[in-house]
Amino acid sequence: MTASLSAGATPVMDRLISRTVEKHRPLSVHFDLTYRCNERCVHCYLDHDDQGELTTAECLQVLDDLASSGALFLTFSGGEIFLRPDLYEILAAARSLHFDISLKTNALLVTPERAARLGELGVRRVQISVYSDIPAVHDAITKVPGSLRRTLAAIPILLQHGLQVKLACPLMRENLLAYRGVMALAEKLGVPYILDLTITPMMDGSSGPLAHRASVSSLLPVLRDARLQACKPQPTSATARPESVWPLGSAVSSGIESPAYQDLPCSAGHNSCYISPYGDVFPCVQLPQAAGNLRREKFDDIWYHAPQLERLRAIRESQLPICSRCEIRSYCERCPGLALMEGGNLLGAYERACALAEEKARLAGVIAPISALHRVRDAASVPTTPEAEFGLLAADSNSV
Amino acid sequence: MSTPAAVVWQKNPDLAWREIDDETVIISPHDSVMHELNDTGSFLWKNIDGKKSAAELAELLVENYQVAPDIALSDAQALLDEMSSRKLVVTVSATGGVSL
Repeated sequence: MTASLSAGATPVMDRLISRTVEKHRPLSVHFDLTYRCNERCVHCYLDHDDQGELTTAECLQVLDDLASSGALFLTFSGGEIFLRPDLYEILAAARSLHFDISLKTNALLVTPERAARLGELGVRRVQISVYSDIPAVHDAITKVPGSLRRTLAAIPILLQHGLQVKLACPLMRENLLAYRGVMALAEKLGVPYILDLTITPMMDGSSGPLAHRASVSSLLPVLRDARLQACKPQPTSATARPESVWPLGSAVSSGIESPAYQDLPCSAGHNSCYISPYGDVFPCVQLPQAAGNLRREKFDDIWYHAPQLERLRAIRESQLPICSRCEIRSYCERCPGLALMEGGNLLGAYERACALAEEKARLAGVIAPISALHRVRDAASVPTTPEAEFGLLAADSNSV
Repeated sequence: MSTPAAVVWQKNPDLAWREIDDETVIISPHDSVMHELNDTGSFLWKNIDGKKSAAELAELLVENYQVAPDIALSDAQALLDEMSSRKLVVTVSATGGVSL
């Protein structure tokens, strides 16, 4: 018998992810406490009306159940979480259950007193949405005049109270060229940042936010930016710890890369999930197929027995009908939720991911990269070479 | 660092931690370093409650792991010292004072 203690972010995290994926333990949970918000961001995927949020008591029961199930990483988000008057009560309960707590907020309502309270309650990290370092650009996206000034004022206050701060910058048409300013801002503040190229449909499937999505061609300067490539850590590097900087990625993911996810589309439903303010349990906020509702069922009953989650867990990238044959798969950041919402098929390929993968492959030096989806489409289209046209004519004449 | 038997141990209240399938993962919030305890370490961790000394924790090891008392005490003390050096546990003196 030897009681042992080991440390080091990468090996411990890798082992933890491996174990939780293998046994389907809900390691990481994203819990939206409200969809109400004091900003009206043009690209937002949420309906901000309150459709019956979980009560304080219900939230506390959910936290108890999550802790019993083995959840460790807990991200509270919204909407704007500071609009929940019981936020501190919920955070205190989460702390007493020993969760590792992160928050996502626009920080408009952060005051020195509130920041101090967050520090006392053991919140580890606060992720703040910043769309630009230029007030006119940021405020036009949030539709709240003065919002950038108020958001930026909150950051030193949070840092002063011992909280880690991370900037998140979703990139869209309105702020595409602002990312360098956000990077510079983060460097000046001494905080990490994440740039996110993902603009999703609304959770009900309507496509309004997609009008703000930057075209793949307009993203080329971002994809080519040497500074972003230079600071992108390799998945196996020693920096892969919970707070690691991943400049280009999904704002809703844990940001944690691991070999344990090899051949899995992502962590959703394997060791992570999303809970809505109404108690619906989803594999991920970007995969809005409710597996159950916590007002009617216990978390464990949903997590371990919902058919939706069991089906999701059976998916392997190597068995996807189109993507498994794709020669540029390693450049692709296919999201199963977006495949469902945009392509109508959880297992399918979708245009945005394929186009982005082709551009990334081209930038990496692959000659004439083509995704499996486009190869299939090309093969199915009418041939245009003279030889092919002649062949078609001959076939037509033979069939007469 | 060794501590006298009268000293009792408690978990650093700032930590995030979870026991998952007999192993415990602990996160230090200020530096985000992750620590991992094996099943025996997890057993000790669960029993670190601000009331037990190293000797009392070692007794629990003897009862549950069929290990010789001297080895149990040595192991328990070594783990507590290591965790103390990483600020995962704190000592509480007989007078109630806490030291990191």
